[in-house]
Amino acid sequence: MSFSKEITISKSSVPKVALLVLATIFAFGIFEVGFDQGQLFSIVFGEQAYADMYIHELTHDMRHAAGFPCH
Amino acid sequence: MRTSLFIAIILLSGCSAGVIHGLVNLALVEPYLDRAIGIENQHMFTSGEAKDTPQFWAEYYSYRAWQKGGQLLAGAMLGTAIGALFGIVFGYARNILPGNSFAKKALVLAAIMWITLYLIPFAKYPANPPTVGDPETILLRQMLYVSFIAISGFGALGFYLIFRRLRSKRFVAVLGYAGFIGMVFALMPQNPDAVTAPTDLVNGFRAMSLVGVTAFWLSVGLILGALWQKLQPDRVKQTKFQ
Repeated sequence: MSFSKEITISKSSVPKVALLVLATIFAFGIFEVGFDQGQLFSIVFGEQAYADMYIHELTHDMRHAAGFPCH
Repeated sequence: MRTSLFIAIILLSGCSAGVIHGLVNLALVEPYLDRAIGIENQHMFTSGEAKDTPQFWAEYYSYRAWQKGGQLLAGAMLGTAIGALFGIVFGYARNILPGNSFAKKALVLAAIMWITLYLIPFAKYPANPPTVGDPETILLRQMLYVSFIAISGFGALGFYLIFRRLRSKRFVAVLGYAGFIGMVFALMPQNPDAVTAPTDLVNGFRAMSLVGVTAFWLSVGLILGALWQKLQPDRVKQTKFQ
């Protein structure tokens, strides 16, 4: 006769899909807050985005406060 | 590992800590930013680039209110991003970090990452308020800052691998990292921009900036540690047939 029982085990490895998602979020977030000078919006607005620097202006205070070089 | 739960608690802890960072900045850093931008305004009036009119100030206060709102949004974005890195490292290192609970392990890792990715780079290239910083040198300054953080972070990882291989005298690996980063610190070029703003403004800004970022690392360690302890995303149920 066979029977089944439920056990809880600890899996130590980090799933590859999680690694990919988190690494992408890390790279994108750091770039936008720390370094974007119009690059993201230039995809839609072209050269005008580099003059407006909307993300730079929006993240300006955090950019200074977190230690990123600015201006 | 329950992938969705693993990602969710990492993003939640990073975003929450980032909002805390933004709130601390609103309370402590913004007065220094306002003062520094006030100096920039005076320069614009002196040079004739802008006129000291009620219309200027109405637009200025409206614009600054928008930017201060951005402090919280940027805090959430930056916190989520750095929290993602913190979560990846914690995912790999949680079983080898010292501490008898995940909460303590997360705090230990937060302290290590705060020192290697923030405090040491900050000592070399400290934060500066507006009015300090030449637009012509921005690319160079960004490259120096990112390079220093990368060298410090990968250096710490490299010396950790040496630490693991050593059976005794493991402190040698810690001393090795200290010597390595000390040498890099001495060899890397200085920030090329002269600091012409008042010393009390610059020093006060840097001190409050340090408090804000420290609050972030403390928060992300506490929150992720507590969530991991409670939800344990690495515990999975399996049915065993006998």
